[in-house]
Amino acid sequence: MTDPDAGGGRRLDRAADRMLGASAVQRLLIATASTVLALVVGLVVVAAAGYDPATFLVNVFEGSFGDATAVAQTLRSTTLFVLTGVAVAVAFRAGVFNIGVQGQFVVGGFATVVSILWLAPLAPENAVGGAALLVCGALAAVVAGGLYGALPGVLKAYADANEIITTIMLNFIAIGVVGWLVDGPFRGEGQRAPNTARIPEHVGLPRLVFDVPDFSVVGLAVALVAVGAIAVVMERTRLGYDMITSGHQEAAAAFSGVDAKRTIVATMTLSGMVAGVAGAVFAVMIQGYYSDPSGIGTYGFDAIAVSLLAANNPLGVVPAGLLFGGLDAAGRHIGIYSDVPVQLIDGVVGLVVLFVAAPELFRMAARRTGLGGEDR
Amino acid sequence: MAPPETAAPAVRLDGITKRFGDVVANDGVDFTLERGTVHALLGENGSGKTTLMSVLYGLYDQDAGTIAIDGQPRAFDSPRDAMDAGVGMIHQHFQLVEPMTVLQNVILGHEPTENGLVDEAAARDDVEAICSRYDFDVDRYLDTPVRELDLGARQRVEIVKSLYRGAEILVLDEPTAVLTPQEADRLFDVMDELTASGRSLVFITHKLDEALTAADEITVLRDGAAVGTVAAADATERELARLMVGREVLFDRERRETAPGEPLLAVEDLRVRGDRGLERVREVGFTVREREILGVAGVQGNGQTELVEALAGLRPVASGAIRFRGEDVTGLSRRERIEAGIAYVPEDRQTEGLVQDYDLVHNALLGNHTIEPYARRGFVDWAAVREHAEEIVREYDVQPPTPDAEAASLSGGNQQKFIAGREIEHDPDVMVAAHPTRGVDVGSIEFIHDRLLALRDAGLAIVLVSSKLEEIRTLSDRIAVMYEGEFVDTVDPDAVTDEELGLLMAGRDRGEDPTDARRGEAEVEPDRADGPDGGGRA
Repeated sequence: MTDPDAGGGRRLDRAADRMLGASAVQRLLIATASTVLALVVGLVVVAAAGYDPATFLVNVFEGSFGDATAVAQTLRSTTLFVLTGVAVAVAFRAGVFNIGVQGQFVVGGFATVVSILWLAPLAPENAVGGAALLVCGALAAVVAGGLYGALPGVLKAYADANEIITTIMLNFIAIGVVGWLVDGPFRGEGQRAPNTARIPEHVGLPRLVFDVPDFSVVGLAVALVAVGAIAVVMERTRLGYDMITSGHQEAAAAFSGVDAKRTIVATMTLSGMVAGVAGAVFAVMIQGYYSDPSGIGTYGFDAIAVSLLAANNPLGVVPAGLLFGGLDAAGRHIGIYSDVPVQLIDGVVGLVVLFVAAPELFRMAARRTGLGGEDR
Repeated sequence: MAPPETAAPAVRLDGITKRFGDVVANDGVDFTLERGTVHALLGENGSGKTTLMSVLYGLYDQDAGTIAIDGQPRAFDSPRDAMDAGVGMIHQHFQLVEPMTVLQNVILGHEPTENGLVDEAAARDDVEAICSRYDFDVDRYLDTPVRELDLGARQRVEIVKSLYRGAEILVLDEPTAVLTPQEADRLFDVMDELTASGRSLVFITHKLDEALTAADEITVLRDGAAVGTVAAADATERELARLMVGREVLFDRERRETAPGEPLLAVEDLRVRGDRGLERVREVGFTVREREILGVAGVQGNGQTELVEALAGLRPVASGAIRFRGEDVTGLSRRERIEAGIAYVPEDRQTEGLVQDYDLVHNALLGNHTIEPYARRGFVDWAAVREHAEEIVREYDVQPPTPDAEAASLSGGNQQKFIAGREIEHDPDVMVAAHPTRGVDVGSIEFIHDRLLALRDAGLAIVLVSSKLEEIRTLSDRIAVMYEGEFVDTVDPDAVTDEELGLLMAGRDRGEDPTDARRGEAEVEPDRADGPDGGGRA
């Protein structure tokens, strides 16, 4: 079984081999080295643009973990990247390319706000009522996100529609329709911007440890519990085995009695449910109302890079999400506290993403094309 | 390049040693390929055949030893160097771009150009010249995308590609592994024509009969070392087998009289459609009893694949019924049939039987993942699965003997032993085994055959599909011959000759004169303007 690809691909094959063979520790080292390298290149760009790279670097560290507020900002973004990243990882691991996490995220978040607003008059105005409303809101997000994920799953399984295309289109539909709804039927009274009404004060995540308005450790805890639950599903359950086997080798899955169509739908539903939870956390923890989704963060898209960086491993999404969260917080900090233009910051962040995700992307491409490893 | 006018052999390998880490893949191998001959490199899976040729082809650097081409010492840094020196290699897995046409594939990387554009007319002329010189049919479908060709035709495209690049020395790596018997015969004709024109061929195989048929000389490799080189004319299968495995192999198995018991599997008027909607199984009916092996013989592509998939529950049935212990199981899913006790050793172990980049523990769960103790209430008990994998590896002599090995790292024979073990350990009542020893080395074949016979004696009903007559005859209690989707006859293996079976497989009556028997058409070749192709030797 030592029969590598012939021709000029030999060197590429060797490189792919090395990438495929890298252990978890090696990957972590590669990621760290990539981050440093990307920052160095970024600093050169910053200097070339006429700004002081030293100040820039100090701002990066201050913004991401300089003080309690910075840490809270990092963790706030981390929470969302971890949740959306896990949503992507579930699907990618099963060989289904759910590019629609952003849409499922939006639909989930909107469903949370709407259900809380609807149910608020029925619940007592105290902490217990607030908690009950939060649970209802989260359930609404799970259902809405799950259904919105199941739709392209059904289309792929039973109508042979490419999920990459349908999920991208469903993103546009989700953003457009929710955008219209918050501008029209669901616009809150007296809201000058196209926003829904605010959810009541007593419905919110408690401020523990960090006293900031837009982060709660409860949100982070939700994300970590989701990671744990998904990891258990993927590694220890039949459903997970079915999903991963389908993703690796469809014929082998069929041989073992897996219903491929049902597995695709299950995968997309599960992925959408996690994306819905992300949307709920975003709506409750950060916004407190729902606004035009074309203006909110692109967490669902960045999640693809997070998941790739984590090699689509649910547990790996946590450090990957932390890196992205830190960069996000640093970017916002620099935008506020320095005169470096926001485009330059985005550029540097993009460099880090590119440098860090490239090896994983390469690894994934190598797997898909059959380069590296043993010949099949 | 024109061969020099010397008596130097086309290829001379001297003391080639190649190590991968601690593993010695080739150990001081000497090998000489005379000009204008076919030299077979024979050995079990994993004996170092491909490694040796990869050293010649510039894929690996040897740790010791020298290579001489036409008497000149050479060292190739890459396959391109080797190609420039007139050495071509046809890999077991074809290196063709499936959506591109045959012509595009042949000239890829060596396109004749005019004013910077590909000169397709010139390319076409060159390729047609090669085809007519060797009487290849490749020129008849130059504009067909490769993905529409069957494997035999693809292989000829690969050969034409090498010739187009000026190969004088061709290495064929297990070229018959993917071919039907007719296609293999046709390949041997092609090989004859190539050597007649002065080209020299290395033929890598693990099949004794093929080496004897197609080669002039045979070098046997065992555990990375060359254990003997013999002239094919003086060699016998028994002698080669002994060299290959280092001990006597029993070819003639004592068949034990068994008493079949209750009918376990009954098929009535079964009709099954193939992938393209054509009916591939036509009104097939049979019964298999306890302690009985029903062999299904036939040229590949006559509906056997569709039949076994229908039995396993992987392919819907158009009409008819499948009964298991008298109960109609036609409507049961694959999963329900596994749970009912119908085991299946799939035709394609690489894509169906194993997940290549899973380790053996994860592969041990394949098909078992709704069955206690491996799974309970939706959760997998990996400790139980690992124990199961360890048991299979131990009981079925899987090398390397660790459940942590990735499936892809196992040789074909060991992959097959693992699959057979896993399916047998289901403790089934019925076993459907499709080509259980295809591409498997001699030692493993013996092992798998023993297991199948032991299963029969333990009371199972077994359906064995194989294109190897010898295997069918040795193992079966009854032989059904399948031709164009039908069971044309069911015979007693002791009362039928190979010749009679061959005639039945070709769709003839047993009594017909064998000289005008045309072999049955295997798979339909791609759409062509000029009518059907004869398939076998014309």
